[in-house]
Amino acid sequence: MISPEDWSAYGSRFIDPSGRVIDDANGNISHSEGQGYGMLLAFLAGDKASFERIWTFTRTELLIRDDGLAAWRWDPKADPHVTDINVASDGDILIAYALALAGRAWKVPDYEESATRIAKALGQQAIRREGGRLVLLPGVTGFSAEERPDGPVLNLSYWIFEAFPVLARLAPEVDWEGLAASGKELLSLARLGPAKLPPDWISAPSNGPLVPAEGFEPVFGYNSLRIVLYLLRAGITDTDVQKVVLDNWMVQNGGMPAIVNIPTGKALARLSEPGYRMLAATLACAIDGSAIPADLRRLQPSQYYPSTLYLLSLSLVGEKYPTCLR
Amino acid sequence: MSSLRVILLILIGAAAVPAIGQQFTSPPSSEGTSAATGTAPTPQVDESALRFFAAQGDNARLEAEMARLRALYPNWQPPKDLFSPTLDQDPDIARMWELFAQGKFSDIRAAIAQRQEAESGWQPPADLLTRLDEGEAARRLVNAAEAKQWASVLRIATETPGMLVCGNMDVLWRVAEAFVRTEAAARAKDVYAYILSTCPDPQERLATAQKAMQTLDGPELDALLALQRAKPDGTPEFASLDSDFLRTRVGRAAEDTTLTVSAEDIGALEQLARNGSTPDDALVLGWYTFRQGDAAKAVDWFKLALDRKGGASAAEGYVLALEGSGRALEAEPIAYQWRDAGADNRTAYIDLMAGLLSTSPPPRLDQSIVARFAPVVSQDKAAVGAQALGWYAYNTGQIPTAASWFRTAVQWAPEDEVSAYGLALSSMRLKDSATLDAIAATWAGKSERILALVSPATRRELAARAPASSPLPLPAASAPTPASRPAATAPSSAPAAPVPLNVAANDRLGGETTSRAPAPSAGRGRHACSGASDAAFRAGRISPEAAVARGWCLLDLDRPREAINAFDLGIGNGAGRTAEDAAYGKSLAYLRLGLTNQAQLAAVETAQPPARAVELSVDLLTQRAIAAYRDARYVEAILALDERNRLAPEEQDLMMIRAWSYFKLRDFASAGRIFKALRAAGYAEAGAGINAIMAVTRQWRS
Repeated sequence: MISPEDWSAYGSRFIDPSGRVIDDANGNISHSEGQGYGMLLAFLAGDKASFERIWTFTRTELLIRDDGLAAWRWDPKADPHVTDINVASDGDILIAYALALAGRAWKVPDYEESATRIAKALGQQAIRREGGRLVLLPGVTGFSAEERPDGPVLNLSYWIFEAFPVLARLAPEVDWEGLAASGKELLSLARLGPAKLPPDWISAPSNGPLVPAEGFEPVFGYNSLRIVLYLLRAGITDTDVQKVVLDNWMVQNGGMPAIVNIPTGKALARLSEPGYRMLAATLACAIDGSAIPADLRRLQPSQYYPSTLYLLSLSLVGEKYPTCLR
Repeated sequence: MSSLRVILLILIGAAAVPAIGQQFTSPPSSEGTSAATGTAPTPQVDESALRFFAAQGDNARLEAEMARLRALYPNWQPPKDLFSPTLDQDPDIARMWELFAQGKFSDIRAAIAQRQEAESGWQPPADLLTRLDEGEAARRLVNAAEAKQWASVLRIATETPGMLVCGNMDVLWRVAEAFVRTEAAARAKDVYAYILSTCPDPQERLATAQKAMQTLDGPELDALLALQRAKPDGTPEFASLDSDFLRTRVGRAAEDTTLTVSAEDIGALEQLARNGSTPDDALVLGWYTFRQGDAAKAVDWFKLALDRKGGASAAEGYVLALEGSGRALEAEPIAYQWRDAGADNRTAYIDLMAGLLSTSPPPRLDQSIVARFAPVVSQDKAAVGAQALGWYAYNTGQIPTAASWFRTAVQWAPEDEVSAYGLALSSMRLKDSATLDAIAATWAGKSERILALVSPATRRELAARAPASSPLPLPAASAPTPASRPAATAPSSAPAAPVPLNVAANDRLGGETTSRAPAPSAGRGRHACSGASDAAFRAGRISPEAAVARGWCLLDLDRPREAINAFDLGIGNGAGRTAEDAAYGKSLAYLRLGLTNQAQLAAVETAQPPARAVELSVDLLTQRAIAAYRDARYVEAILALDERNRLAPEEQDLMMIRAWSYFKLRDFASAGRIFKALRAAGYAEAGAGINAIMAVTRQWRS
């Protein structure tokens, strides 16, 4: 549930007429994740025309890989525009999930067919047993135990739990339930450092403990901060990681999500933008029943990413926790 | 040919796409006019796009649309009222066609969804949807091609075959490229054939011919070029490409010796090369003539290419051609100068020097030539080069230096028997029995000639067998050993100034070895060397039979130079069987010295009885092939093996020499066939050849 006003504010700011969702904080590039978010939000806003627009761009520009998954990175300044043919698997999950929801609700078999193809391809390319677990590889190349000494390297914020049961209907041969279970297990194990928070990029080898992955900043950062939202959207409210994050944001950082250094447990930055504060408010609402602050009840579009998280949060609160909006 | 025909061809070839036959359950028309005039009912043709473009005055798109409809519906005639006011008054649809003309596909999709929201059950014109699908698919296909996702390109093409028409030339070209990249060149040919028999645009036709030329050859290319039409002035439309075709033809033949080109082609390219100012044509001709076996002529072309700044490839060819013309010494300066220009130049230099240095008797080389080779060998850890420096030092009497280089070669390539043999021989000369015994132990059961250095019994055995099989291999007679490059330290000393072979050989063969001399062989009716005293021999007071016996005895002692003198006496003074025996012995002695030509001369000094003549010829040709290979005269090696083949079946190790010779001549097809056959027969070493071909051909085509 997204109001026409909020959706229109978002669309006019971050979606161009070709259906490209623009990451304005990131050189105005687009990516499979942004396209998937855009399609999911258009569905939640009930905007079939925008859904078609974004899907058309996604299909013709990104869904070009031999294996049926989306190229993850599209740069308006580059020629050809696709500058990295690798996959970001959360983007494919979001695209397939949005297609599946829209296909069923709006009775468009083509959407469901496309969703099925992507879900099956994910099962073949990105969902694998690695390091003794069923995992979601963040990309098709570069993250497995075979390709990295500290592999597999995972991103726990790529587990979009709410999508798994939906995709399981389309591609039942893939063990989505097992994937959800391993995601929860990894989250319970990945509370690292003094702050006991999951790093954005984590190494999960078969023969050792979870550690921040080599070559990535060891932070609980822009990736990980959406984990609590994904859990809530999937109806999961009782994990330890949610409690720890709530404490860190509400108690230690004054209601603001923070980028936390894993080895020291210290906050590197507090994120005061409404979109990020809405994440904290939503978590507090779901766990403690706290009301959403007045200044967070309408979208104030700042940048693509926090605005996206904002709309996903608000639609969740509106649907599941309407009392927090009274 | 209709568009469907080419689609059918494409689909049949697209193994990447399953279930493609379903595309054809309801074709909008059948192939060709004759079939369509038969039973097929006239289909309902959607002319809304046509009317829109007419109303817009967009003649280019109008023409393209008419061509498209004609291809789909051969019976269709454009309506006469095309330019009368449009029948379609729906402003949304007009707007959608306008967006289509602008390529704004996302906007059309959004507009359709919006209209359907407002008006439940509303459907856009079928033609608009079809054109939209095709437009999107074409865009997606081009994006996939840009990202080199060739399976995706072919999948998209099969899902939306309607876009495979002349109006989408870029799409057709990229589909052809996808076929090439997925090893389905024949399907690419079908696409090009479709374009050349169907599409009218002269520029696109010319570009298509060029693309075809880059990816196809032989009869397939000829068949395509036969589709060219005459220009209004009567000239063939691809006449401007004739030179390019010529270059491509000869260039292909230069890379693949199984291809042949006509004398006219060569003549024409020669003319182009002489009249031009760039190195390219001369370079192509150089490689072509070189691989056709005319190294002397190739020298001239490579020289011309080099003078025109033809670069590394010209230098490499020049070196190889000079070497192949027996002018290896002349090639050395240029090979050295270009040694850092590329891997091939490096190899050419090292191979050239290895050939020069391993020659027996050693050529007179300027000290600086040898001195500047040594650092390159060390830097590259080139076992072939170290071994060659070893033989050069050995053959010039620099035994400690030889031992040092052989030791290095063995460290870099522990599996190389020839280097081990060289080290064993040097160690024997240096009375380094520890090293000698260690090598003999390492090679026990793998190298009889190494074992023979420490085992009199083995020597006797080999000597007894000698005439029936190859003679004891010479120090410098190496089986082909593709250079492996293991790590080791560089030796400190370079070989000293050359010493005439005779001195070195006599010193070597008449010296320490006698102390280890085995008992004379009892085989072949030969007698002990003591049967005639040295003094009597020198005085010439010795019977022909005794001289021959002494010759065999000395040969047994690995003293072939002295044996030759003894056999000479037998030839000069003996007759009949004694003279034959002497001539045979002399040839074997020469063979053991690696002096193949002399061996052949010796063999004809008396007429040999048929069986022995064959045996001898087989041995001679074997040695000649090995020597030619060692000296990088690969064409001669192959010729010798061919000749030998007429007398005796080729053994696997000789087949390896043949294969490596083809390889060195860059006839990878022939080399590959032999390597594969050998490997299939369980000859494991052939795998290295196959790998080498893969490595080189990839490099060659990149």
